[in-house]
Amino acid sequence: MAPLVMASAVACGGGSDQASEGTTLRVIVNITPNLTEKYWNDLFANYEKANPGVHVKLELTGTISADAKLRQDLAAGDPPDVSLQIVPTADTASLFTDLSDQPWLAKTPLADQYTIDGKHYVVGVGEQIQSLVFYSKAAFEKAGLDASKIQTMDQFTAAMGDLKDAGYKPLQSAGQWVTGSQFSMMADAGVLTADPEWTAKRNKGEGSFAKSGYLPYLQHYKNWIDKGYLEKSALGLTYADGQTAFLNGKSAMYIMGSFFVPAADAAKKSDDLGVFTMPTDGAHPSGQFGNMSNPYVVVNKSHHKAEAIKFVKWATTDPEAIKSQLASDGNLREGFTYPMSSLGTSVQQILDKAPSVLVQSGDSKPIAGFSDELNKQIQSLYTGSSPADAADGLDKWWNSQS
Amino acid sequence: MVELAKLNAGLNDRSRRQARLRESAVSLGMMGPAVLLYTVMTVVPVGVAVYLSFTDWDGFSTASFTGLDNYKHLFDDPSSSDAWYVTALIAAVGTVLMVGLGLVYALALKGRSRSNSFFRAVAYFPHVISALILGYLWAAILGTNGAINNTLAKFGIEPVGFLFDEQFALISLIAVIVWAGFGFNVVLFVAALQTVPAELLEAAAIDGASKRQINLRIVIPMISPVVTVATVLNLVGLIRAYDIVVSLTGGGPAGSTQTFTYLILARSFEGTKVGYATAQAVFLMVVSAVLALLVTALRNRQDQAATS
Repeated sequence: MAPLVMASAVACGGGSDQASEGTTLRVIVNITPNLTEKYWNDLFANYEKANPGVHVKLELTGTISADAKLRQDLAAGDPPDVSLQIVPTADTASLFTDLSDQPWLAKTPLADQYTIDGKHYVVGVGEQIQSLVFYSKAAFEKAGLDASKIQTMDQFTAAMGDLKDAGYKPLQSAGQWVTGSQFSMMADAGVLTADPEWTAKRNKGEGSFAKSGYLPYLQHYKNWIDKGYLEKSALGLTYADGQTAFLNGKSAMYIMGSFFVPAADAAKKSDDLGVFTMPTDGAHPSGQFGNMSNPYVVVNKSHHKAEAIKFVKWATTDPEAIKSQLASDGNLREGFTYPMSSLGTSVQQILDKAPSVLVQSGDSKPIAGFSDELNKQIQSLYTGSSPADAADGLDKWWNSQS
Repeated sequence: MVELAKLNAGLNDRSRRQARLRESAVSLGMMGPAVLLYTVMTVVPVGVAVYLSFTDWDGFSTASFTGLDNYKHLFDDPSSSDAWYVTALIAAVGTVLMVGLGLVYALALKGRSRSNSFFRAVAYFPHVISALILGYLWAAILGTNGAINNTLAKFGIEPVGFLFDEQFALISLIAVIVWAGFGFNVVLFVAALQTVPAELLEAAAIDGASKRQINLRIVIPMISPVVTVATVLNLVGLIRAYDIVVSLTGGGPAGSTQTFTYLILARSFEGTKVGYATAQAVFLMVVSAVLALLVTALRNRQDQAATS
C-alpha cells in the first residue's frame, strides 16, 4: 500500500518528464517582493526561446524554505532538476552535482569562497553585501553630520546622539528576523575582518562569544537601547513596516543589505538617501559581510543533469540574464553594470573599496539555527538582558547544539 | 431419543458457530479497509517517526542510529526548556479561560431565541477562519503601527507593547488564542445543555433553587463529561499551538512567545535536524497523551466519588 501511495504521489507531483515535446526542467525558486513568480517566468522564457524543446517549470516553496522543499521532493522520490537559494554544506554536498569540471564556473562570483573540500557545488549570479548603513540626507543635514567622517563605533554613537537631538529616531530596527540580522551585519564586519576564521574556530569549540570581539558590539548595542537610540517598540514592527518607516523619513539611519536599494528605488526615495560602510572598532573600511546572490545548484538525482547544467550556465553567465537578476534584487558583480540609481552606485563604490567580502560558508558557516538564536538574544537586550547575559546565552546555546 | 436430541444440539451448536464465524468474517471484511488505511496512514508514520527520533537524520543523507541522544539533548537544550515553559503556560491558562468562558457564554445563551443563535454564531465565527489569518489580522491591530497604537499616537500616547513587550506579548497571544477558540467550546456546551431534562430543572425551580444553584448543582454536573472532553481537546490543541504564534508574534520578542511546536517546525526542521525534531515531536505526542489520560482519570475519579 505504501509504495502504491508513494507512486501515486509521484505521479500527481508531475515529476521531471522527457515528454515527446522536449524536456521540462523543474527549478525551485525563491519568491520575494523583488523576485516575483512573474519575474522568474519572464526571465526563464528567454532561455526557453533560445532553447526550443526545453520548458522551465517553477517549483514554488510556499511557506517553507528551498531546503525543506527539496527534502520533501527527494523523500517523495520526485527530485527537481535545479534549485535556487540552497547553499550546500559538507553534510549535504552529495545531494548536488559537482560542477568543478565546468570551465565557465571559475569566473562566477565568490566561486572559491563557497567550495567544499575544494569542490564547486554551487554557482551564483552576483554578490549581496550587507555591512551598510543607509541614511536620510535631510536628517544628516539638519543634525550637521558628515557621513564620510563616521568610521568608528564611537563616532557612530555620537552621530546617533546628534540625530536624536535634531528630532529624529536615530536608528531604525524591526522585529521578526531583522533585529538579529542587523546586529550581524554590524558586528560581523568588525569581528570577521579582524579574524576571518572566527566562526570556523568557534565551530571547532575554540573561543566563545563572551570572550570575543562580539562582546563590545553587544555593549554598543545595549548602550544605544539605553539611550533611546533604538526603540523597544520597533520589536512590534514587521520587516516591511520597519523599512517603510525609514523610507517615510521617520528615522534617520537603517542598517541593511544591498537588497534594500531596489525597495528605495521603487519608493522613489533613492536620491534622498545616502549610504556608508559599517563603522567598526577596528579597521576601516572593514570587509563587507556578504553572500552569493541567486545561488544555483544542480540536484544530483535530476533526470536531466546535462540540460540542468546547461541551464545553470546560462543563468549565471549570460550577460542579459545576469543583468536582469542583479537589477531585480540590488545585487552586484564585477564587470557588470546596469542602470543604477544614485544609491545603487554608492553601494557599488563601497564594494569596490571593501578589502574583502566576508562569507559564512563551508567551515565558517555557523551552526544550524544560529541566526534564530542570535535574534532571540539581541532582542533580549531590549527586554532587560545585559550584554554579558546575551553572550553567555549564545555560548550556552551553541555548546548545547554541538 | 436422547441421542437424537444430542445430535440436534450438536448440529445447532455447529451452525451457531458457523454463523458466528461468518459474522466475524463479514465484520473483519468490513473493518479491513479502515484498519488497513489507519495502519498505513497513522500507525506506520508514527512508527517511522519513533524510529527516526533515535537517529541523527538530517532529512537528506542516510540516517544513523544514535540511541537516546536526541532525547537527552531535549533536556540540555535551553531553547527546549524555554519553549516548554511558554507552551505549558499557554496550555494551562488558555484551557482554563477557554473552558470557563465557553461555559459561562453557553449558560448565558442556552435558551432558544434568535439573539442567542446570533451570539452563538458570533462566538463560533473565529473558529471557522484559519488561525494563521487571525494572527495576521490581530498583528495589524496590536502591532506598533497597528490600529490601536496608531489611534493612541494621535492623542500623543506612547505605543502599548502588545507585541513588543515580553509579558504583554504573551498575554496578547493567549488572549487571541482564547478569542479564536472558545466558540468551539460554546457549541459543545450548548449541545450538551440541550440534553439536560427540562423536568429536572423545573422541579428544582419549584423546590426554590435559584438560577445559580440550578446551574452549579444540576446543570454543570450533568454536562461534566462534555466539559472533560472540551478540557482534553483544548489542552491537547494548545500544547500544539503554532499557527497564531507564527503570524502574530513570530515567537518574539526575545523568544518570549516561542512555543514547543514553533521550535520544532521553525528551528529544528528548518535547521535540517530532522532526527532531533522528530524526537521533540514524539515527546510532544507522549506529553499530550499523558495529559489527556490524566484529565480523564481525574474526571472519572471525581465522578465515582460523586456517585458513591
